[in-house]
Order: sequence, then structure tokens, then C-alpha cells
Amino acid sequence: MIEKQERLTAKKFWQEFAKGIVITNPVFVLVLGLCPTLAVSNSLNNALGMSAGVIFVLLGSNIIISLLRKITPNLVRIPVFIVVIATFVTILSLVFEAYLPPLYESLGIYLPLIVVNCIILGRAEVFASKNSVVLSIADAFGVGFGFTIALIIISFFRELLGTGGLEVFGKQLFSIPVLAESPMSVFIMPPGAFIVMGLLLALFRMIGVLKNE
Amino acid sequence: MSETGPSLITIFMSMALINNFILSKFLGLCPFFGVSKKLTNAISMGAAVTLVMVMASIATTLIYRFILVPYKVEFMNIIIYILVIASLVQIVELFIKRTNITLYNSLGIYLPLITTNCAVLGITLINAQANYAMVQSIISALGGGIGFTLMLIVMSGIRERIEFADTPKSMRGLPIAFIIAAILSLAYMGFSGMI
Amino acid sequence: MISEKKTGFGNKILSNKIYPIIILSIIVFVAVLLLMLVNSFTQEKIIAEREAKVTNILQKIYPDMQDFELKDDIYIILKDGDVIGYSFIAIGKGYGGEINTIVGLDKDYIVKEISVLSNTETPGLGTKILEAFFTDQFKGLETQDVKLSKDGGKIDAISGATISSRAVTDSVRAAIEQKVEIIKSKNY
Repeated sequence: MIEKQERLTAKKFWQEFAKGIVITNPVFVLVLGLCPTLAVSNSLNNALGMSAGVIFVLLGSNIIISLLRKITPNLVRIPVFIVVIATFVTILSLVFEAYLPPLYESLGIYLPLIVVNCIILGRAEVFASKNSVVLSIADAFGVGFGFTIALIIISFFRELLGTGGLEVFGKQLFSIPVLAESPMSVFIMPPGAFIVMGLLLALFRMIGVLKNE
Repeated sequence: MSETGPSLITIFMSMALINNFILSKFLGLCPFFGVSKKLTNAISMGAAVTLVMVMASIATTLIYRFILVPYKVEFMNIIIYILVIASLVQIVELFIKRTNITLYNSLGIYLPLITTNCAVLGITLINAQANYAMVQSIISALGGGIGFTLMLIVMSGIRERIEFADTPKSMRGLPIAFIIAAILSLAYMGFSGMI
Repeated sequence: MISEKKTGFGNKILSNKIYPIIILSIIVFVAVLLLMLVNSFTQEKIIAEREAKVTNILQKIYPDMQDFELKDDIYIILKDGDVIGYSFIAIGKGYGGEINTIVGLDKDYIVKEISVLSNTETPGLGTKILEAFFTDQFKGLETQDVKLSKDGGKIDAISGATISSRAVTDSVRAAIEQKVEIIKSKNY
């Protein structure tokens, strides 16, 4: 089976890529990795930083775990995954601390918590440990971008309603006149995360329901 | 505020109510939305997580104080903490299996899930960040665990009832659970003026 | 790269019970080595970044600063060898965690300026403690006035972020009280 997959075509690569973004979107469809999704989506900046981190770790762990898949004994499978993931998270955390200190500070403990992000361990167990390196890369990018898109959508609404404007990399994109003066700050606080996530899930389900009927 | 840092009661209340793990720190959300439909499951899960949180806090505080800081290898904390937590979960699982089979049967399926519960790694990182001493980290883990359990229980109670309510079709299940969590979180923000 | 190294002997002792432990140990060993390597590259930069941040803020508070000395966690600001001010970091407990504030005093212990160094407050709300309209209120205050106006002082809290405002204000006052005593007793 593995050999068959090794003879993959470009088509297969893009299939895996697209699957992660739409059909099995980790956040909106599988509802995985909730902690970072809700915690860092209070600003677009944090959301982008977290997404970049998750893509890096996912890519690294998927590649290494796929490379090691034939020599990893089943018995110590999970510890091996955890060590590999934790290594990449530590590298990420060191690099962020050295080169992007403001982002490092605003992500706080949610940066090291990428280790226990169910999405990454899930991809290692379900996909990377059973598939070739190239397919695992496609999978990592697909799932990673799916996560990014979800985070961008959530943080877009939260920051827009909560502060009355949008800001990326220290640049004010735009602000809505009345809303910026008296923003609905509840949206950048914890309850806002739950409200936006709940409504978005309902919306996606509604679209899904409509399609089926 | 004194130099010695916050008092134990302050830490406990802050972790259990004000900075509730689920409602304000978003830690341990997967079991919160996944498991919490039955009250007994909620209590078992909460108890298991609290136990592992306290044990992990003790172990990681020791490691942090006596290994990581003296040898200046604090950057290794993530990899060491997660391995400690994974082994602790294994030990607890084995111990319960050997000593109390009824408890094992009710807790059993939740134990392996705890390794990847953000709340456990979260509490060890929070303790390290706040530079808590041993007693303080135990109290903060206990507070966090109890706050977590409390929320699981509250949520399971509400969800048991909402099954019979007439919710709009697209809101059924998870979406309405998120809205409930939002309202709970809003209510819990009232505690924030306490300290 | 890593896989090539192990497949050779891996096949021979595949059935062995020790094999999983060996593999796991090798992976942990490689991981630790890799981290040491990355750490050695980034550590210098991380320390430099931290120091640069403090120096920059000090330079902003004391534009004519030429040099500073660090004694007992107090930055003694020097110009032509004379002391022109004292600066130190106040640690307060905010809504989200610790808030570190750099406090700049002139040589008569009047607040010259404060600047929030790091915080984990709610973005757009608690983080308003970073903005000038809040921090400028501290300028020229004596220790006893560094209190929120509702506590009898001269600082107006940010609406909706009382906890963050109070954390900064109270930690600044506590730090001034504590450090000024050290400065006086040790005659810096």
C-alpha cells in the first residue's frame, strides 16, 4: 500500500492539500485544537503568528515522523511523536523569542502549548506515520492552511468588533468611525471567542445543511 | 502587594474562579465540549485531570528549581515537561488498574487523553512563568483543577437539559454549547473585581 | 538523514525488546543535541534583545543619559559621572499575568516617566496601559500620589481595564517605596 502511494502524482499532492483546507478543516469541521484557536484569535496579528508557528511545527513533525515511520516501533510510537513535536516547538519558541520578541510575548504560554495541539499529534498518528514524505508535506500544508484560514476568519470578526478596526504587523489597515470610539470590547475578551466560534460553527453547519438538501 | 507574592488564597481563587481554565484561559476545551454530556463522566474526568495536574506541578516544580535553573537549560522545559506528564499519566493508569479496578473502569478511558490535555501542560508552564514555589504551585494546580471540574459539572448539567430544548437546527450540539460557554464566561467575568 | 543511520542495525534486532528503548533514546538524544545547537545560536540574540529593550527605554526616559550602572536591580543613570536619576522594574499582577513596568525617577525621587516593558493583558483593552494617555499621568508625581483616583491618588484608571490600571499603579508605587529606601540606605 505504501509503495502504491509512493508513486504519487501531482494530482494526489493537491488532493491532500485541498482536503485539509476544506473537507476536513481542522477547526470548523473536526473541531480540533480549540485552545489556541480561541485563545490567540483576539487579534489578527496573534492569529497569523500562531498559524505560522503551527505550520512550521506541523511541517517539521510530519516530515520527520514520515521519515522515521519504518523504524519506529509501535510500542514507543506516541513518545517518539511527542519528542519530535516538542523539539520543533522548542526551536520555534527560541526563534520567536530571539527574532520576534513582541509576538513571543503576546502569544505567551500558548506558544509552548502547540505541543499538545491535537491537530499536530493527530496528523502524526493518522497520516504521517503511514504515508510517504511528499504526501505528508502536502498534508501538513493543507491542514496548516486550513487552521490558518479558520484563525483568520475568527480573529477578523473578533478584532473588528472588539476594537473597531484591523491592525496587521503594527499597521492600521482601517477603522470604522463610530465603532472605533466605543468598540464592543467583549469580543476581544474570552466570552467573545466563544460567541464568534459558536455562531461560525452554526453558520458553516447551515451552509452544509443547505447543500445537502 | 507584598514582596512575597500573592497569598495562597488569592492564588486558589484566581485559578479556580477569576482565571478559570476553561472560561478565560481556554485550556482543556476538548474534554469540556467532548466528554461533558453526562454528570458522572464529568466528575470522573475532572478528578483525573486535577490529580494529574497536581502531580505534574509537583514534579515539574522540582525539575525546574533543581535541574533546569541551576544548569541554565530552561529552554528544555517543553520537552521535559511533556515527557514527565506522559510518564505520570502512565504511572497513574497502572497504579489505579492494580489497586482499584472499579475506579479504573470509570476513569480508564479518560486517562490516556489527559496527556494531550492543554490544562496539564498549561498549569506547569503557568507555574514556571509565575515562578511559584512548591506550595504555591500545588495550590494553583488544585485551584485550576477544581475550577476545571466545576465547569465540566456545570456544563454537563446544562447540556443534559438542553437536549430537550427546541434549538434551531443549525445550532444543535456544538454551536449551542459554545454559546452557553460564552454566557458562563460572561458571568465569570464578574469575579474579576474580587482581588 | 536520521533514518539512514538506523535502518542498518534496526532490521537485525527488530524482534528484540530493547530495540524500542534504543530507538527512543537515540531520538531523544538527537533532539536534545539539536536543541542545544539552536539554543547556542539564539541565546546571544535573546539576551541582547532583552538588554537593548531596557537600554532603549532608559534612553527615551533620560535623553541626556550617557551611561548607567546596575546595582541591586536599580539602574543608576549617569551624566558626566553625576547621578541624574534612578530607574528600576516594577512587577505587578494584572488580569492576564505579570506586568513589568520600567519606572524612571529623577534624582529627587519624583517620577519622570514610566514605560510598560512587558504584559499579557487583553489586547485592545488592558494593553491600553501601554499608551501615552495613561502613562503620561505618572509624570511629575510624588510617591504618595501614585494611586488610582478612586483610591485617593492622581491616576485615572482606563475604563474597562481597572485591574490592569491598578496593577501598574500599585506595583509602581510599591517599587518606588522599596527601591528609594535601598537607594537612601546604600547612598547610591
